[in-house]
Formats: sequence, C-alpha cells, structure tokens
Amino acid sequence: MNKRQTRLFAIGGSVLAALLFLGMTLDSHRQFPKLTNAQNISPEVTLGNKVWHANNCINCHTLFGEGAYYAPDLTKITQLRGEAYLRAYLHDPAKFYDEQKVRRLMPKQDLSDADITGLIAFLDWVSKVDNQGWPPRPLLVSGSSLPGMAMTAAQQGSTTGTAATGPADTRPTTSGDNPIAQGESLFHSASPPCAACHSIAPGVNMAGPSLAGISALAEKALASGTYKGEAKNAKEFIHESIVHPSAYLEPGDMYSAAGTSFMPDTYATSLTPEQVDQLVDYLSTLK
Amino acid sequence: MRYKSQSVAYWYFAVAMALFGLQLVFGLLSAAKYLGPDPLLYILPFDVTKMIHTNLLIVWVLTGFMGATYWMVPDESRTELYSVKLAIWQLVLWTAMGLATIFGYFFRYGTGNKLLEQPLPSKIIIVVVMLMFLYNIFMTIKRSGRFTTTEGVLIGGLGLAAVLYLPALLHYENYVISIFYRWWTIHLWVEGVWEMIQGGFLAYLLIRLSGADREVMEKWLYVIVGLVFIAGIIGTAHHYYWVGVPHYWLPIGGVFSALEPVALVGMAVYAYSAIRRSGLQHPNVLALHWTVGSAVFTLFGAGLLGLAHTFPSVNKWTHGTMITAMHGHAAFYGAYAMIVLAMITYALPSLTSGRREQGSPVGYWAFWMQLGGMFGMTLSFGTAGIAQVYLERILGLGYLDTQLKIQIHFVMLIATATVFTIGVGLFIFDFFRYPPRFAVSAEPELKPRGVADA
Ligand code: HEM
Ligand code: HEM
Ligand SMILES: [Fe+2]
Repeated sequence: MNKRQTRLFAIGGSVLAALLFLGMTLDSHRQFPKLTNAQNISPEVTLGNKVWHANNCINCHTLFGEGAYYAPDLTKITQLRGEAYLRAYLHDPAKFYDEQKVRRLMPKQDLSDADITGLIAFLDWVSKVDNQGWPPRPLLVSGSSLPGMAMTAAQQGSTTGTAATGPADTRPTTSGDNPIAQGESLFHSASPPCAACHSIAPGVNMAGPSLAGISALAEKALASGTYKGEAKNAKEFIHESIVHPSAYLEPGDMYSAAGTSFMPDTYATSLTPEQVDQLVDYLSTLK
Repeated sequence: MRYKSQSVAYWYFAVAMALFGLQLVFGLLSAAKYLGPDPLLYILPFDVTKMIHTNLLIVWVLTGFMGATYWMVPDESRTELYSVKLAIWQLVLWTAMGLATIFGYFFRYGTGNKLLEQPLPSKIIIVVVMLMFLYNIFMTIKRSGRFTTTEGVLIGGLGLAAVLYLPALLHYENYVISIFYRWWTIHLWVEGVWEMIQGGFLAYLLIRLSGADREVMEKWLYVIVGLVFIAGIIGTAHHYYWVGVPHYWLPIGGVFSALEPVALVGMAVYAYSAIRRSGLQHPNVLALHWTVGSAVFTLFGAGLLGLAHTFPSVNKWTHGTMITAMHGHAAFYGAYAMIVLAMITYALPSLTSGRREQGSPVGYWAFWMQLGGMFGMTLSFGTAGIAQVYLERILGLGYLDTQLKIQIHFVMLIATATVFTIGVGLFIFDFFRYPPRFAVSAEPELKPRGVADA
C-alpha cells in the first residue's frame, strides 16, 4: 500500500461509517416519539427538566446512568418512592439522612413547590422511557434486598438496636421531624424491626413479603371481595396490617398457617399510636 | 527552535500548566467528599468541585493543543506564524473566558449539562477563539504553500473538533434527544477527532525524535486515522445503550466500539517500531519517554479499560459506576494529558534558557511519579467499581450503604492521587524553573543510538 491508497482507506472508511451512523440517527428520530412517550412531555415535565439543569443535579447524580457517581441513580426513582416522600425529601434532605452516618448529604436546594412538582413529573417521565430495561434490577438508594446487609459490623454485633443507633442509612429522628422520615426510621428500629422480615425492594420476599408498592396491593386487596377486615382505604389497610396482622392474610403457606399470620402481633402495644401512624405514612409512599 | 514566532507556544504551555495544577486541587477536593462528611457542603458542594475539575481539564488540554500546534506548524510548513499578535490575543481571550466560566461555576452559573456546562456567552467565545485559531493556522500554511500530511491530520482534527462543538449549542425539549447529541460532541471528540490530534502530534514527535522515515510514518498515520473513525463513529453507540434508543444500537454498538482499540494498538505499535527501526536518537530522551508513554498508556486506559465495559452485556452492570471513572481517568490522561506533556517536554529546551536537552532528574521523577500515581488511581477507582457493581447491582444493597462499604478504596484513591499530584507539581516546577527565551536556536542533532550523550 502506498500513501495515496491509505489516504483513500481513511477517507472512504470514515465516510462509510458516517453514512451508516447518520442512517441510524434518522431512523432513531423516527422512533424517539414512541420510545420516549414524547406526547407526555407536558409543561410540567419541561419545567422539571429546567429545574434539573438549573440545579446542576447531574454533577452528583446519574440519570439513565449518566452523570456523576457521588449520589444515587434516579432513572427509576419515582417507581421506588412515592410523590409524598419525594416532596418531603426535596424540601429538606437532612430530615431523612444523617451526614455523620452516611458521610454524604444532599445540600438543601432552593426549590419552590411548583419546582418540585415539575421535577417529580420530569423524573416520572424519565422512568417510563423505554431504555432497554436498564437498570437490570432496581437500584435502591438505601437499605438492602438482603436482611442485615445494610448494617455495619458493629451494628450486627450489638443485639440492642435502638432508634439512636439504627442502621447506617437512617438518621436519628426527633419529634419535630416529618412523619415520613420518622416512619422510615421506625421501620428499622421498632422491636423487632420491620426490616428484619420485609424488604422495600420490588420482588424481594423474605420472611415477609416485599412492601414495595404496598398501597397499590392494598387497593387491590380491598377491591378483591375476599377481604374481611375493617379498612376502607389503603392507609387504613396498612394500619390494620401492622396492629392486627391476621386481619388480611397474604396468600401462601410461608406467611401464615391456620388463619394466623406469622408476623408478630405485638406492635399494637409496643408502638404508640403516633408511631404506627408514622409507619403508615412512610409505607404508603413506597411504590 | 527555528522560527521566532514558535515561542508564542511558551505562553500557551504556561497557562496550561497553571490550569493543570488547579484541576488537581478540585479533583482532590472531590475525592475527599467521597469520604465525607463535608464541611464545605453549603460553600463548595461536590457538584461544583467536580464540574470545575472536569472543565479545567478540558480547558488546559485544549490550551496545550493550541500551543503545541503553534509550535509545530511553523516547523512543518517551514515558515513564521501568520500573526503572533493574533495568537496572543486569542490566548488572552481564551484564558479570560476560562477563568470567568470557572468563577461563574462557584455560583452555579452553568447549563447543568455534563461536561458541556459552559453558559452560552462562554460557548460563543469558545467558538470565536476556535475561529481565530484556525484562521491564524490556515493563513500560515497558505502563505508558506507547504502542507504536510502530519500537520494535515492535526489541523483536520482541530477543525472537526470545532465543528463538533456546535451541537452543544443546540437545545432540545426532549431530554433523551439532548443526551443523544451531547455524545456527538463528547464521544466524537475523545474517540474521534482528538485522536487525530494525538496522532498528528505523535507522528511529528516520532519523526523528530527517532528520525523515522516521513513517508512511512505518514502512510501509517492515515491507516490509524481510518481505523479510528471506522470504529469510533458508530462506537458512539456505547453511550446510547440505556438512554432510550432503538434496540439495534446495542449489538451494532457492541461490535463497532469493541473495534476501537484496534487503532490504539496500531498507535502503540507505530511508536514502538519507529524507535526500533530507526538507528537514530534525539538527545531529548525525556520527550521520548512521554511520547511512547502516551501511546502505551492510551492503549491501556482507553483501549483495554474501554474494551472492558463496552459490550452491552457488561455495560448493563457497570454503567455509571466507579468503573466509568476508572476508565475516564486512565484514558484521558494517557491520550491527551500525556501527549501535551510530550510536546511541552520536546519544545521546552529551546523555549527556555539554561535547560539541558536530555531532561533533568526532576523531569524523570515527574514522569514516573505521575505514571505510578495514575496507575494507582486507576486501580483504586477500578477496585471501588468492582465492589460497587457486586454489592449494589448484583446483591442489591442500597447505593448509600454500598458507598460506605467501599470507603477504603477512596482512601487508596486519595493516597495515589497525592503521589500523582506530587509528580505534576514536579513537572510544573521543572517548567517554570528556567526563564523563557525567545530567540532562534540551532536544532540538536540526531545521533546513532547507543552513543552516549554529550
Ligand atoms: C489529583 C488527581 C485527581 C483526583 C483526586 C481526581 C478525582 C476525581 C473525582 C472524585 C471525580 C468525580 C467522579 C464522579 O463523578 O463521581 C473525577 C472526575 C473526572 N476526572 Fe479526575 N481526578 C484527578 C485527576 C484527573 C486527571 C489528571 C484527569 C485527566 C487527565 C482527570 C479526569 C477526570 C474526568 C474525565 C472525570 C469525569 C469522569 C466521569 O464522569 O466518568 N482527573 N476526578
Ligand atoms: C482516548 C480515548 C478515550 C477517552 C479520553 C475516553 C474517555 C471516557 C470518559 C471521560 C467517559 C465517561 C463519559 C461520561 O459518562 O460522561 C467514557 C465512557 C466510556 N468509554 Fe471511553 N474513552 C476513550 C476511549 C474509549 C474506547 C477506545 C472505548 C472502547 C473500547 C471506550 C469505552 C467507553 C465506554 C463503554 C464508556 C461508557 C461507560 C459507562 O457506561 O458509564 N472508551 N470514556
Ligand atoms: Fe465513548
């Protein structure tokens, strides 16, 4: 080969590759409206998109796995956390995590209620984009699909967990805190901890069933016709499940026998009514 | 230095050095925040330090590219630059824009678009500076009438880099589409036209440092450029897998991006054989270290570590983890930091007075500490990433809990980054140790290899 031929190779090869690439780009544009549900890009989503950029979110978080690696991926966050939770969290992240324990904290952003509504709409739009099924399994922000894994070695060694020493990801709460934050803390610190038997990861059933999407499940149970308890709505249903676990039985031999749930029925006495309400507030935000 | 106007490169290199040092300050700050807690949470949060870190990187590398081009084009075209004054004004405007942009970032004045955070006024100035630069180079070559393949590849890369910056100026309502075009700038820069720039400098340095035959070198340079684009253009797809594109991008992107390292193997073989084949040696052995080092480290950081996670079936698990940061550091450093440092090291003996042509012990310490430090940083990011993938993605531990369990790797990162930073500090010290000299001087002679230096 001489220099003229290698130049021809360089230019010809590049042009061919570029043409193929442009062809695929054109075809992608044809498919983008459907893949991205472009018809759902409402003014709210557009506002959220602006707020996302204005606050530089991408330089701590990833979205579609792109961004910085200092904070969790948010691609599917609205499928893991409900609107009430996200709203309370975005108003003041410090209410949910303890910087001394997690060693990182999201700084409070200057967001109006409308901004937050927009952000949630934007993130919800993102979560519904057809992106070839990524991530391959839900990426949790905190907690664990497997029991005990989220604890430090010291916590695993100590048998007397209290609200003050809860697992790594929770923040010690005070009575002034948002009830959702207090409920999240109780989930790990009640005695026995709910987290010992329940995960909040979709599809991860331990001694008890996963509590991901519990509200939707509650609605379904209420509407099923076989439900015999006293609850009229999802919140009451969750409340009842905590204080009278046998009022509704999850199908399956591993969760109950002879009409009695395996879940301890001690929470009605070991938790105060306010604490049960806080747990209900927290659990009903799980999607 | 054969042409007086080449000395304008000195000022470009000096600015690049200062910004390189500053880049590392913000890198270390960002890494310290991984360990936390962060006393600067409300003064200088992670997003700001990280954004400044990556933007300074881009600014100093481009400053180095422009300086090195002003050094190389007179040599290749055998003429003085068209206008030194224009080159100086261009540098002033560029540096002022860079510093103002960074200053704005402290107040989060930016677009919030990864790596393209520059606000619109900065972007417009960037385009203006690029035009001033290309005009100056174009007029220089036009006046001389001599245009070599080596400089053609370099200028082609620079011109296309300017063109590919333009998509960054557009705005799309659909977030997926804006990501799609963001990669036309970022990916087609680092895995396309910037590799042309690197290839141009590499060919220039190898011809000068080893006396390799120009015809042969330029013939193979075309082959490398061809391989870069054939794989690299469609290779853009490795950033598209999970952002909402049709499925066919996955298999096609997997195959083409896996071919990208072929060009990088080519580059390393190219450098190695140039030195083996020619019996001659330039006295500036330190510059030869940087030149060959760049080709080899690119093969490692971009080729091997890029290949490691470019197939969709692997990328599905590693996407957006510390694995990405591992590859980003090793690749950027090997390909673009090192080639600029090679050009600087080659040019410096004639740009400053009192410096020995063959390099000083400080210069060698700088080389080896940077290499060792960057290798250690790559391992730290890599081990952190592997642990992250297994804990967070395969076992399903929460993100925050995972980060707590991999803290030891962040300690390792800071330790190795410190070694790296000392290496860079030595390089900067060695740079400014001797005063600049703006006079034409004789070129050192190539000697047969193995003969001891005078
Ligand atoms: C003192 C040395 C350095 C330290 C401690 C350091 C640390 C960091 C940290 C903590 C990040 C943020 C990663 C994230 O998003 O979570 C980062 C990003 C980055 N740094 Fe560095 N860095 C250093 C030197 C360098 C050098 C020399 C280069 C290139 C030549 C470089 C190129 C980059 C790039 C390209 C990114 C973006 C990576 C990505 O988003 O995947 N850094 N660095
Ligand atoms: C000199 C050449 C290269 C440089 C400077 C470079 C730099 C980078 C950087 C900075 C990123 C992070 C981008 C972001 O997330 O914003 C990245 C991502 C990536 N690079 Fe490269 N790269 C180079 C070559 C290659 C090659 C040759 C391959 C494949 C063989 C490759 C494969 C990848 C892949 C697969 C990702 C995506 C990682 C993820 O999923 O998060 N790179 N590269
Ligand atoms: Fe790429």
